[in-house]
Amino acid sequence: MLTNIKIALWAVPISLGLAASSSAIAKPLGDTNTAIKIAINEWTGQNLTAHIAGKLLEKLGYKVEYVTAGTLPQFTGIASGNLSLSPEVWPSNLGDVYPKAKAEGKLEEIGELGLQTRDGWIYTVDTKAVCPGLPDWTALKNPACVQALATPETFPNGRLLDYPADWGSASGPELKNADIPFTTVPAGSEGALIAELQAATAAHKPLLMRFWAPHWVLTEVPVEWLEMPPCDESNLAECIVAPPVIKVVWSGFAEKWPAGYALMKSLQVHADDQQKMIYAVDKQGRSLDVAVDEWMDQHQSDWQGWFKAAQN
Amino acid sequence: MSILAALPVRVDNPAPYFRRQTVWFGILIFVSFCLAQRTAWPWLLTYPKAWILPAAPAVNGIFDWLVPLLTPPCAVISSMLGAALDACGFALRWMPWPATLAFFAVLGWRAQSWRLALFTAVALGYIVLAGYWQQGMNTLSMVTLAVPLAVTLGFLLGVGAHTSRHVRSVTLVALDLLQTVPAFAFLIPLLLLFGFGPIAGLVACVAYAIPPMVHCTMLGLARVPVSLLEVGGMAGCTRWQRFWHVVLPTARQQILTGVNQTTMASFSMVIMAAIIGGFNDVGWEVLDAMRKADFGHSLLSGLVIAVLAMVVDRITRGFAQPRHGSARQTRHDAVRVAAFLAVPVVGGALLHVAPASMARIDTLQGVVDPNALNTFVLDLVRAFSAPLDSLKVFVLYHFMLPLRIGLAAAVTPFTWGFAWTPQVSAFYAATTLVLAAWLTVNGRWGAGIVVLLGAALLLFGFNGFPWPAFIAVTAGLAWSVGGGRLAVPVTIGTSFVVTAGLYEPLGQSLYLCVLAVLICTFSGGLIGIAAAKSDRFSALLRPCCDTLQTMPQFIFLIPALMFFQVGELTGLIAIALYAIVPPIRYVEYGIKSVPADLVETSRQIGCTAWQRLIHVEFPVAKPEIVLGVNQTIMAALSMLPVAALVGTKDLGQQVYIGLSKADAGLGLVAGLSIAIVAMISDRIMRATVSRAGNSLD
Repeated sequence: MLTNIKIALWAVPISLGLAASSSAIAKPLGDTNTAIKIAINEWTGQNLTAHIAGKLLEKLGYKVEYVTAGTLPQFTGIASGNLSLSPEVWPSNLGDVYPKAKAEGKLEEIGELGLQTRDGWIYTVDTKAVCPGLPDWTALKNPACVQALATPETFPNGRLLDYPADWGSASGPELKNADIPFTTVPAGSEGALIAELQAATAAHKPLLMRFWAPHWVLTEVPVEWLEMPPCDESNLAECIVAPPVIKVVWSGFAEKWPAGYALMKSLQVHADDQQKMIYAVDKQGRSLDVAVDEWMDQHQSDWQGWFKAAQN
Repeated sequence: MSILAALPVRVDNPAPYFRRQTVWFGILIFVSFCLAQRTAWPWLLTYPKAWILPAAPAVNGIFDWLVPLLTPPCAVISSMLGAALDACGFALRWMPWPATLAFFAVLGWRAQSWRLALFTAVALGYIVLAGYWQQGMNTLSMVTLAVPLAVTLGFLLGVGAHTSRHVRSVTLVALDLLQTVPAFAFLIPLLLLFGFGPIAGLVACVAYAIPPMVHCTMLGLARVPVSLLEVGGMAGCTRWQRFWHVVLPTARQQILTGVNQTTMASFSMVIMAAIIGGFNDVGWEVLDAMRKADFGHSLLSGLVIAVLAMVVDRITRGFAQPRHGSARQTRHDAVRVAAFLAVPVVGGALLHVAPASMARIDTLQGVVDPNALNTFVLDLVRAFSAPLDSLKVFVLYHFMLPLRIGLAAAVTPFTWGFAWTPQVSAFYAATTLVLAAWLTVNGRWGAGIVVLLGAALLLFGFNGFPWPAFIAVTAGLAWSVGGGRLAVPVTIGTSFVVTAGLYEPLGQSLYLCVLAVLICTFSGGLIGIAAAKSDRFSALLRPCCDTLQTMPQFIFLIPALMFFQVGELTGLIAIALYAIVPPIRYVEYGIKSVPADLVETSRQIGCTAWQRLIHVEFPVAKPEIVLGVNQTIMAALSMLPVAALVGTKDLGQQVYIGLSKADAGLGLVAGLSIAIVAMISDRIMRATVSRAGNSLD
């Protein structure tokens, strides 16, 4: 049973002790002395996923450390081993470092998180009054609707608040292909998108913007999703498609923490659960730990199954 | 246009009067030719893609070569700084907050008075109540490390630049690069060099904090009167003795201003460290709140940075005040201070022994709830949505659009109530020509040219101004104020930006910055004068300025966004809020340092307050005022990347796009372009001032 332990000699006694305590372990835990460093990015949903992953790894017998890390800079950390795991990566915006590090084999994608995402155009409730026919996209061709959404910058076209220019967006081409008389205005940052959405809702103004789910603001502000014009889904440059969220680890993860690696491969978080937890944390002031503990209680059978898989 | 106003006033060098007239005449003809051909040859407006020089790939190439070379020494520096940062952070985190609070209060008391002690206690108490103690101490440890490094390096550079002309010319360029290339542009390269973690942010922080120290050291040293130096020489001082005992004490006040500015600058940069992460500091909390558009939390956490900056600034300044007393007294004093400071440390250790009592005290942490503020802002938006909208539309139509796309396009029945007909056009042209002709006849042909060029710019806007004309005008301007030595680098610089394919974002940046600098110089100057005249107002103003300068600018973006939506007006507001501080400070300082005997003389000969201001104080304070305008331009340019977060289309946005696409070169080239614009305006201003007879350096 112990023959396939591929770890440094100094870790052997500890592993021995652990192996003795839980006899069914087939995959070795590996280095339980060094903390697994989990990236904490800038949004609550990711923080919840990260803490779920951390709690599970701790239950399995690992030390865990949470490290704040910017979405783009974190890949430098993962590639160098300063960070071990980023459990919720949205492939829509990966930057420059990620593809390079992936090609060099310094980091590894370990499958999808199972988070059902949505990406497209949303509008505030007050938009329905000026654009009858919503949520169908053809409602946007109505001249009255266009005029109601026009601003000095976009006149005579309507205004579509788009993702920041540095994220890249297919909204422009999609508007053009569907022949909708709207102009995209890039928002500049996520905060700008949210601030406008909140302000428009508060002032009862019409607003059409690009957005994604799950997102905490959607539990707070009532919005509706537009039924998007048809487009060629294989052409990502001209068609908005929701990206599957993936999990990324440092390339040395599998060797250093074999059982943890298998566990992280099985990890799945669902969008509904996450959105509920986000609301509890951001709006009801519940602590992150409590929300994650509730998730652990509700999904006991799930993660016990993953444990079994990780240990065989 | 204030730069241009001072244009051709002297007949002496660098370019002879007659030749200058001929050259400007040529430039005018060239500009009008370009403008006339702009519809026929569209490439005059949009620089053709096929002509773009591969600057970005070249930068990438250099970088690929440089990074492996520099990585080993950087790793050594990184581990050294990392260890120092860890030690510093550990000490600050180990102390329970009541102990740290008491420690700093005692320091404040010894530095100045019980008032400062009270201020310190209240300020640090706020951090506890806001619930950012841990993060605040991490931030403080980063600054504790960054400031001494920046001050030492800056002082040495300043002395070096003062002593040697060669060092000076190199240093000035390097400084401007450090201060004006946006940190976003060199953050990713720093990340590659120093690895993931707070060290890259720390290095960025030090780099950004050096320039004010150097500038102030140089200004202070240059201000030492020659007579004093001669006295030192006659008293038989060696060079070193003279430096230590004569020059330094005389320049002391100016150098201390430098230390103060360096502290402020490094606090304003700690937010950059947070963009990388790996360090649980206040900056991270600010960015987190910004992403959520959570104004309450961002203000709460941003104030933590401002409050820390103010405490550190006041305490260091207090200790720097000259003290009188014998050496023995001082020694006695030092022992007493050490005894006082030991008390909180011992108290802290005791609290560690008794975790129960510590836990009870800790319930004070984070009791402030900022959500009410968010509701308040949203209520304001709800209540004032219509007037805010009309204000936005008014400013947009009457000030921003004309500068961007020109009067000819901006004036329509929809916006101004009348159309830009050929008749209006003819009237506009006639008025301009008559005004220019009148000025020329009166011997002020330079002002005439300014009127002509300004009118053309206003008519066609920054977007409609052909790039060859732009290069020609800047080159001509540089040539007539600084001769060939200035004109050549300026032409190379502008050509670099244009040939990198960045002419359009350059126009956007210029139009935003020109507006912001005009607004800031005017209103900031007035506030500065008021502060110089009234000590009470000045005392009231200082915390406001400190807050504006040290609070991360991201914070102002959120309410501005909610009130004015995504767009350039919001960007302009953000830029102006930050860039207003330098004119206030420098004008106040300049007027206050006018010698008392001069003021007294002017009073005796019967000057009114206004006459004194215009004829005595302004001319004497001119170097400071120009330095202030200079710093305003720098500040406005440095805000471009922040303004990009609200969706402006300027060079700052290019920096972001370059960094997130697979093209780090574009980011650096765009960052460099911002730096080039800053340096050109800086050099032209300096040359103008030195030609007018008041040397700045």
